[in-house]
Amino acid sequence: MIRSLPKFSTHAIMIIGVLITIFPFVWVALMSTHTRSDIYSSPPPFYVGSNLIQNYGKLLELMPFWSILWNSLYVSVMGTAGAVLFCSMCAFGFFAYDFRGKNLIFGIMIASMMVPPVLMLIPSFLTIKFLGILDTHFALWFPGVANAFGIFLIRQYMLNTINRDLLDAAKVDGASDFRIYWSVVLPLIKPALATLGIVMFIGLWNNFLGPLILISSSEKQVLTLALRSVQSIANSPWGAIMLGTFLSMVPLLLAFLFFSKQMMAGLTAGAVKG
Amino acid sequence: MASVELVNLHKSFGTVEVLRDLNLQVSEGEFVALVGPSGCGKSTLLRILAGLDEASSGDVVIDGEWVNDLSPKERNIAMVFQSYALYPHMTVEENIGFNLRISGIGKPEIRRRVGEAAQILDLSELLKRKPSQLSGGQRQRVAMGRALVRNPDVFLFDEPLSNLDAKLRVQMRDEIKRLHQKVRTTSIYVTHDQVEAMTLADRIVILDKGRIQQVGTPTELYRHPANAFVAGFIGSPSMNFLDGVLSKNSKRATVSLADDTKLRFPTTDNLPAEGNVRVGLRPEHLQISKGGKGENTLRGTLELIEPTGAQNLLKVGIAGQSLTAVDNTLAELSINQPIEFSIEADKIAVFPPN
Repeated sequence: MIRSLPKFSTHAIMIIGVLITIFPFVWVALMSTHTRSDIYSSPPPFYVGSNLIQNYGKLLELMPFWSILWNSLYVSVMGTAGAVLFCSMCAFGFFAYDFRGKNLIFGIMIASMMVPPVLMLIPSFLTIKFLGILDTHFALWFPGVANAFGIFLIRQYMLNTINRDLLDAAKVDGASDFRIYWSVVLPLIKPALATLGIVMFIGLWNNFLGPLILISSSEKQVLTLALRSVQSIANSPWGAIMLGTFLSMVPLLLAFLFFSKQMMAGLTAGAVKG
Repeated sequence: MASVELVNLHKSFGTVEVLRDLNLQVSEGEFVALVGPSGCGKSTLLRILAGLDEASSGDVVIDGEWVNDLSPKERNIAMVFQSYALYPHMTVEENIGFNLRISGIGKPEIRRRVGEAAQILDLSELLKRKPSQLSGGQRQRVAMGRALVRNPDVFLFDEPLSNLDAKLRVQMRDEIKRLHQKVRTTSIYVTHDQVEAMTLADRIVILDKGRIQQVGTPTELYRHPANAFVAGFIGSPSMNFLDGVLSKNSKRATVSLADDTKLRFPTTDNLPAEGNVRVGLRPEHLQISKGGKGENTLRGTLELIEPTGAQNLLKVGIAGQSLTAVDNTLAELSINQPIEFSIEADKIAVFPPN
């Protein structure tokens, strides 16, 4: 009994942590089944209501929900795929090659991470305007595909896990530089790619400020913007908004499940050391 | 199979000279070992040969062709790394077949050749495993299979056995030797273990501080070392060195040690000048003698006995210095007792002082 006490308390703390974490999600899910007046009643209705269908109808009335969800999905998937590809390529360059000014360039890149993102809002807006890609989804996902954080994360992972002999062995085997990157290095850094993938996907999915200043056409709106814009109207239809919010969480959940599985696969594949 | 030639090879990293004016010729089918202490440049030399590093100056010629500008693949060499460098995410089969796959060879052909290599190396049962599921010796064999499968002109081995335990090392050494006798591919083998080099190689190249000290067969190096470095490096336990003074005439030479012991032997052409010298005596050439009045008798005190089973290693204080002697007779001796050794005149080596 005494021996199991630490285990018990650990479990208790973990269970409390889990409950606190999932409470908002459950709350949103439950509220999406109630009417506005139910939501404001006291005590709040902490049970499944009967207004789900009406809320869904209201949601579609407020916005073209599925096409907006598609926009968000498109931006997030493109940005994530692009970041995973370009950051790993760039990190591979920093990892595998020695060239003049390598440390300086890497240093400048790391230093750029210290600039607060808000400071870059106007310069990036002006740049995007100059490039003529204002009010496009491309402007939302593309500028972030080679970001300092991702490059840093992946390069550090490479340094820790990839024996440079592997690169030499591949060279002796006749692999081209791209082949080494693609067939030898990429499969070995899956956990880092998955981590970056999750971070990027969540970042892009939740991005509010970017779309707010870059997107003006209503048909190009993304979820964050659309859900926020209906909250200001009088008598905000909270049931419908909660339903929209809940549905917008689902892709995020799926993305997390997908990437975390990759992360586990990478970790358990092991044998990084010869 | 191909011959390999290094001509005036020079390599420096910044101001540090790693290899200096290196010339070496390896004939077709030969097994050459590069031996030397850590940092002598032997791995750098191998990497230059492989095309992984560039020489600062000088040429690499493989099979009569100047290959300085060719990639590792174009040189058609295969290399076995110290860390094995197996691709952790690929199975044994994929590891061995990787270079064939990127050469665009068809799957049935890859399977056939991988199967052949696996059979030679006794890996057929392990083809579906990942490197993490293999023992050290098996990984080493996979690394050799990867080199073997492409029929290279030259095999390069970079200390391939140094990560294995002593027993496995001896076993793998035999396998490498057997493999070479079977395929007769020109092989260049880097090691810091002189026993490995002696047992495997047709010829040994001794490197120190970026220079070749001597090239020769194991027996040549053992019997006629060109200098004290080679003499000390080859042989286990290593050669004893004693300070002495040389005097010689046209027929006989004599070295007087600090305790006035005289070592006499016939004069040869390559004796250093008279005066201070270093005398080299191999531990296995020192014979325990009793009441020896003959020439070349060394007297000292037994300081330590290290039994190794088949023989005892004796540490003896002679002429103010400590010597090692090998006692194959396993004589009953006690510490601190006086002891005498005799050595044959033709086994005495003399080198210039440091």
